[in-house]
Amino acid sequence: MSKCVIDGREVNFTPGQNMIEVAKQAGVEIPFFCYHPGLTIVAQCRMCAVEVGMPGKDGNVQMMPKLQTACSTAVAEGMVIKTKTEKVLKNQKSVMEFLLINHPLDCPICDKSGECDLQDNSYKHGDAYMRYTEERRTYVDLDMGPVIKKNMNRCIHCTRCIRFGAEVAGVREMVAIQRGNNTEITTIDGRALETDYAGNYADICPTGSLTLKGFRFRKRAWFLKKAESVCEGCSKGCNIELQQDANVVYRTLPRTNLEVNKHWICDEGRFHFETIHDADRVLSPAVQGATGLDMAAWTDAVAKAQGALKSGKVTVLVGSDLSQEEAQDLKAFLAKQAPQAPVFHFGTPGVKTASDDAAADALLKRKSKTANLHGLEKLGYKPFDSLPAGAEQVLVFRAGRAVLPDLSKAKTVVGVGVFLKQEAQAFQAVLPGLTWAEKSGTFVNHDGREQKFQRSILPQGQSKALSESLMLLANQGTGTGAA
Amino acid sequence: MHPALQAETLYIQHFRKKDEARPLSYYLEQMQGYTALGKALKMAPDAVIDEVKKSNLRGRGGAGFPTGMKWGFIPKQSPKPKYVVCNADESEPGTFKDRDIMRYTPHLLIEGMIIAGHAIGSKIGYIYIRGEYTREAKLLDQAIAEAYSKGYLGKNILGSGHDFDLTVHRGAGAYICGEETALLNSLEGKRGEPRVKPPFPAQAGAFSGPTVVNNVETLANVPFIVNRGGEWFSSLGKVERSGGTRLISVSGHVKKPGVYELPAGAVTIRELIYDICGGITDDKKLKAVIPGGSSAPVLTPDEIDVVYDIEPLMKIGTMMGSAALMVVSEDYCAVKLIKRITKFYAHESCGQCTPCREGCKWMEDILHRIEDGHGREQDLALLLDIADNINGKTLCALGDAAAGPVSSFVRKFKGEFEAHIRGKKCPNV
Amino acid sequence: MSKVLSQKFYDEMKKLEPRYPNKVALLLPALHQAQEESGWLPPEVLEEIGAYVGIHPAQVREVASFYTMYNLKPVGKYHLKVCTNVACCLRGSDEIVEHLEKKWDIACGETTSDRKFTLMEEECLGACGTAPAMMVNDDYYENLDIPAIEKIIAGLA
Repeated sequence: MSKCVIDGREVNFTPGQNMIEVAKQAGVEIPFFCYHPGLTIVAQCRMCAVEVGMPGKDGNVQMMPKLQTACSTAVAEGMVIKTKTEKVLKNQKSVMEFLLINHPLDCPICDKSGECDLQDNSYKHGDAYMRYTEERRTYVDLDMGPVIKKNMNRCIHCTRCIRFGAEVAGVREMVAIQRGNNTEITTIDGRALETDYAGNYADICPTGSLTLKGFRFRKRAWFLKKAESVCEGCSKGCNIELQQDANVVYRTLPRTNLEVNKHWICDEGRFHFETIHDADRVLSPAVQGATGLDMAAWTDAVAKAQGALKSGKVTVLVGSDLSQEEAQDLKAFLAKQAPQAPVFHFGTPGVKTASDDAAADALLKRKSKTANLHGLEKLGYKPFDSLPAGAEQVLVFRAGRAVLPDLSKAKTVVGVGVFLKQEAQAFQAVLPGLTWAEKSGTFVNHDGREQKFQRSILPQGQSKALSESLMLLANQGTGTGAA
Repeated sequence: MHPALQAETLYIQHFRKKDEARPLSYYLEQMQGYTALGKALKMAPDAVIDEVKKSNLRGRGGAGFPTGMKWGFIPKQSPKPKYVVCNADESEPGTFKDRDIMRYTPHLLIEGMIIAGHAIGSKIGYIYIRGEYTREAKLLDQAIAEAYSKGYLGKNILGSGHDFDLTVHRGAGAYICGEETALLNSLEGKRGEPRVKPPFPAQAGAFSGPTVVNNVETLANVPFIVNRGGEWFSSLGKVERSGGTRLISVSGHVKKPGVYELPAGAVTIRELIYDICGGITDDKKLKAVIPGGSSAPVLTPDEIDVVYDIEPLMKIGTMMGSAALMVVSEDYCAVKLIKRITKFYAHESCGQCTPCREGCKWMEDILHRIEDGHGREQDLALLLDIADNINGKTLCALGDAAAGPVSSFVRKFKGEFEAHIRGKKCPNV
Repeated sequence: MSKVLSQKFYDEMKKLEPRYPNKVALLLPALHQAQEESGWLPPEVLEEIGAYVGIHPAQVREVASFYTMYNLKPVGKYHLKVCTNVACCLRGSDEIVEHLEKKWDIACGETTSDRKFTLMEEECLGACGTAPAMMVNDDYYENLDIPAIEKIIAGLA
């Protein structure tokens, strides 16, 4: 462990560690815009400039005459770093002024407001008084496809987006054109972004220059309540945060986990939360009636399910989108209630077992489009191939992304969990269940990592946790419990 | 004739002796062409570097860094190829000396580069020439082809076992590519944006290989150093720590503008203007001197008795830069001039770093306003503060290049600025 | 996509390829070569150059737009770039620009309606000792004044 001195305090660091991170660990905030731990260092914004000195041979510390950018200066043994001197503070004030002279004062209508680095740093390090009286630089905005809306007037040229595209997403689609004061960050003539990781552009933008089209004008950042979750979009297990207000999820953001997804998530995972609030999701118990599947009382739907379960000819299909806890409960339940029934897991066409799962791209995506394939296999669930001969009754448990196999040969299908109306059209009954946002639990990702996710919102409609539905199936009509 | 000109000082500008085209034959017969190369190839690389160190040759591009020391930074062993890159971007306003070298004695540069290659163990060289110099690029191409045909370039040069390939690479209109790391990015097919340092080019330069970047004139001095020895070269300089002669570009309001080759530190600015360049146009009075390319802080007539070299100019708060002296006579408006200079730096800012991107344009806008008669009293303090907020805070030296002139003009011509502001128009018109 | 760049372009590039450790380094030479052929660099040319050096067309645009010598818009048959930097403006370049603007009734950056002349202000051309200077396409003209300019223009067919 090496030692340096930050603002008069001795601080331990590991050689190679970034100065901004070393200071942060010691509780000293060095403000920055262009620095991002997941991207290369460019030292462009100049906000993180600090005073740096080294002890000479005589032991006296020799401070460097110029400010040094913390992001690009390697911390060395014995180094003296001063982050609060007059010179440093004047530079911070100056950088804030430079960044704001051409930035519109549109925080009241800007979606970034409340979680904006520019706004926060302006408040902390800027000046309330503005000396600029010249004409502001303005740009005509071009579109950037379905995910991202660009507002170039708000851009502070930190180039995080350019670096994300080139270094992480692997496509040099976001570029800086022209130069100097006229530099514009753009795609060619406003071409749609190609990467399917485009949402990250908005995450890393330190201002409201790049915002998510789907989130614009929908919610103020400060109204959102956050829950630590894990993406259920595939078997990668990217760490995410679900953000909701009044039981409506408004967006998904990545949480940093350097061992899983680093700082990023894909668009498929990011926008998967939209299915929670799909207008076609079956949110009340339903049974097949004269006019098709229709709303019903829980008791009626449970009775139908019990009928199938006790028929002696039941086959049970379990989506590999169930949490580990749910899959465990279900296993125990089936051992007791239908010990003879064949039980299979299902999920992604073409990915029958964990051994079929593999990386689907160079970054995060996996072939298995369900989150817990590996967890279910660990619990001993067997992969589904096709319905066994004579399987008249089918009970399907499913929580989200598992793709329903062809069940047309079955006489009776009862679904427990999350279904869309169009999927369940021919079902005898549906017992509505919870998406991952409505419950806490564990997923086991592709390399066996168990990750907990927290509930973000309350159950939607009349949907119930699987444990409750199982209890009803076990107890209704036995006098030991009631719906 | 001025004593400084009486002495035989035309080494690089040998061509001045006879006003005609200089083919390879001239270089070989009249200038001992490629004899230094033959000599250097028989020397150990370190011995060549030592000779250059002894010569007190300092970079002629602007920074004045000791060339031998720069070469010494290149690691002996490198897993990646090493490169010699010639900075022929000559873009600091007021500078036009390298153009003459490339036009009249391109082989001097080529020979210098091959020797540099031998000294640092590099087999590949590029001449990064500013895009506008199309004629000079063609002349260099021809000269390089000649050098290949005579065995000075290519494999096994003069039977020494040393290889060296040389290519002319044209820029395309960007002042900032004169900054060595921006130049390297441009050479690699990227935007000419300066890089974060460290790593320095000596560690990771062109294509990530150890690279030495030297100005045209710097490299053109190398054959003389090798032929006549570092001590001889050093003794040419009339001030300490500056060896050789300097090509001085003089422009603006003088009777005889042009490039003059003079021993380093041989003259004062006054001597340069009045004795060598024939004085001010139309015998007007001197108003200002910009001594080292437009990025050098301005001097007033009472400051021109300074010896024209690196250290003396530094001592009075300005710089020699690329040795480009621009002379301004009494009736030219100081506000108009500094606005034009600032407009240039705003136009040439790459846009990467905040203070330069935003600050240069801001200063230009304010200066424009003052020139147009819309200035305010507080503008001068504001200009000085913006300049201070840029100076020393940017990623590369362009910020300093823009800030230094502004603060020097505002301080030294304060009255003229105030006259614009109070009179709401230019008092010179 | 059918090729828009000539065989000559590819022949020239082939000659340069062995001189650089990678193809991206050929970007500036390629842009020069392409512009030499067509006077400017339309999007389909940038696209094809990107394919040739193996980079995204956006990256080509990014680089090309950084340098002032690459014309991303069409220019006239004669592209006049009048230096107005310090040394030239000290010696009267402003009057030259003004004269040409009036003569052709265009502003700097514009092209005459017959598409013969494009006028631009240029930064330092490195010809300060012979100021004022200008470039017409690739050629330098120095020691200018208005009569000299008039004579030069008269000689441009």
